[in-house]
Amino acid sequence: MAGFSMRPCGDFRTTYRQDTRIFDTTVVRNAAILGVIATALIPFVLDGYYVNLFIQISYFAIAALGLNILVGFTGQISLGHAAFFGFGAFASAWINNTTGIPVLLSIPLAGLMTAAVGLLFGLPAARIKGLYLAIATLAAQFILEDFFARADWFTGGSYGAAANPVNVFGYEVLDDFSFFYVCLFFLVIMYLLGTNLMRSRDGRAFVAVRDHYLSAEIMGINLTKYRLMSFAISSFYAGIGGAMYGHYLGFVSAEGFTILLSIQFLGMIIIGGLGSVKGTLMGTIFMVLLPEVMENGVGLLSVFDWANSTAVTDGLAYIKEMAIGLAIILFLIFEPDGLAHRWQQIRAYWKLYPFSY
Amino acid sequence: MKRLIAATAMVATGLSVTAAKADEVFVGHLMDITGATGFIGKFYADGVRDALSYVNTHGGIDGTILDSESVDYAYKVPQAIANYKKWRSRNEMIAMQGWGTGDTEALISFAAQDKVPVYSASYSGHLTDPTAKNPKTAKPAPYNFFYGASYSDACRAMVQWAAEDWKASGGSGKPVFSHIGDNHPYPNAPKEACAEYATELGFEVTEPVVVSMKPGDFKAQCLTIKEAGTNYGYLANLGPSVVSLVKSCDTVGATPKWLANIWAGDVETLKTVGDVENYVFPAMTSFWTDEGVPGMDLVREISKMSDSSGEQFRTHHYIRGICSVYYMKEAMEWAKANGGITGENIKAGMYARTDWVPKGLEGVCMPATWTAEDHRGINTVNIYSGSAKGGEPTVEKLTTVTLPRRDDWLGY
Repeated sequence: MAGFSMRPCGDFRTTYRQDTRIFDTTVVRNAAILGVIATALIPFVLDGYYVNLFIQISYFAIAALGLNILVGFTGQISLGHAAFFGFGAFASAWINNTTGIPVLLSIPLAGLMTAAVGLLFGLPAARIKGLYLAIATLAAQFILEDFFARADWFTGGSYGAAANPVNVFGYEVLDDFSFFYVCLFFLVIMYLLGTNLMRSRDGRAFVAVRDHYLSAEIMGINLTKYRLMSFAISSFYAGIGGAMYGHYLGFVSAEGFTILLSIQFLGMIIIGGLGSVKGTLMGTIFMVLLPEVMENGVGLLSVFDWANSTAVTDGLAYIKEMAIGLAIILFLIFEPDGLAHRWQQIRAYWKLYPFSY
Repeated sequence: MKRLIAATAMVATGLSVTAAKADEVFVGHLMDITGATGFIGKFYADGVRDALSYVNTHGGIDGTILDSESVDYAYKVPQAIANYKKWRSRNEMIAMQGWGTGDTEALISFAAQDKVPVYSASYSGHLTDPTAKNPKTAKPAPYNFFYGASYSDACRAMVQWAAEDWKASGGSGKPVFSHIGDNHPYPNAPKEACAEYATELGFEVTEPVVVSMKPGDFKAQCLTIKEAGTNYGYLANLGPSVVSLVKSCDTVGATPKWLANIWAGDVETLKTVGDVENYVFPAMTSFWTDEGVPGMDLVREISKMSDSSGEQFRTHHYIRGICSVYYMKEAMEWAKANGGITGENIKAGMYARTDWVPKGLEGVCMPATWTAEDHRGINTVNIYSGSAKGGEPTVEKLTTVTLPRRDDWLGY
């Protein structure tokens, strides 16, 4: 799946180093660099709406990658990812408000704090798995949600917490245009880190734990250590994503981090492809854009007179909501390996054309 | 000659098209009809939608048409932000009609930065402090407005009524007050403010009773209420959760006087509860069935925008949506006459008058005053008592409480 290689004929790998390159081929690497440069031009070409969508994609994608490291790579499960995402948001606001540490530094620090909390809630993972672990992480979701509403000193309680805008060398990033680049920076860094992690000894240990924990243990992999580490790294990513979300909004309210968001994160990685870094990004883009595309589709109908009555617009609103659930179901049935797999197949098709294999 | 006429006609048409475009302003409308608060959001959204279309079909803002779009964001904050950004960058939105706690709070900074007045149905006390004068205010909300008393003020008014009711009913000793609601920003919004005032008025305030926002069997919580000897129970949740709580408490014999918040008190709720007495709730407008209210004629006309028969019953949430739009409309009219309809001028328009009621809605919306330092538009609360027998609700007005504009209550 993730190892599907599309190297041109004659491109041999003679060392392990070559075998674990971040990008399979030079073309892919150049395409990725060009992709980042093209993305950097978005605010100059497209309007504020698209810039906002990119910002949304970036903070969700970072958090979703964390979940994919846990679920897709290590084979653990978490139903409490939104709570860690929220913890990161509150932690960064708290660090910045109480110590005055600049936001750009408080974001990674919030990531570390969230990692510590993730480690704590990941402790049961050392002993339990599957459904039991799912329920343990569900408890994390509810405990943290309750904590957000109660811990006045940390979260401002039900009033929520104010989060200052990002400040770069004395320049306050107030508008979306500048915040876009902060997001792009974090997105690229975190995705590179994620990809690198998977090439490392630890990353391979994660995959071994996922594929067969008994064999992994026989091979000398410390299961407890790697399961906990996976929880910590996953929470670190969630914390960074959440912190960016908090500073973008300027205000963090306990209301936003419910179990529904946790499920949405799971939706992102299922649709994108479990165990795929690139798939995580694709899944996030899909999940963020789907409601918008549906909204615009519903909006197109408004040219017809019959579609403007309250009964029809309300009915369409329900259809729009159901589409998200439907998309997840259809992906589970027809594309269980997610968008990443589909992308590989499209590449393979063009590579092998006109032969089908 | 013909050519001349044709050319003149073309120029004239071209001009009129340009003029029509220039004479339109965009107002976004976020609503929740399918999400977590949809069952109540729908009524409010209908009021806003109908009022916006009515304004347009009756001359707009002194000739300026309100181009608007109603989007169901299903109580999801990211979608609310995306829509806000879309409207801002593509439609040059100058004002917005919003909805709940989540989206309103997420948009505070953006609205302040873009100078877009946001009229919401989130009545959290901290939205009333535009300059963060009160040290307790987490963030100033200079471009946020709402029509009605804040959750805190409405609760204070009911506590004040309860204190008098206790005396009038010959109660001895300290009456017991309990806050009953989920541990979430919306039910918690008035928790401390209301408990403080209750203590000030001589109530014994118990530990808050936590009841989920989702309906369920709440007998355990009702037994706690019974054991605590609660005389006045403040219902901070809404809709189905409140219905199940009242029913559960009936079963175990815990029947304090219920004080509901504004979203938990309406005829629909009473009907669903079926059998209940002494269900006290606040209202910020007259009721659909009230007679002799001059402004109700306009409400009925507005209602015909989506129900041509004019027969459909409307809750007071619907009417509150109309008030929210009409205050915005009049502020826009002021703005148009004083430098043009921009977000900044609309905000100034909100401050231009004191104790004002939108024209045509006399008796429906209450006189309101907003100032640059105080966004508590209304500090008067009408208190009603509802009862239902076999699903047949009756509602009677108890009193009107006017609260002082205390400095320590600003933003709290």
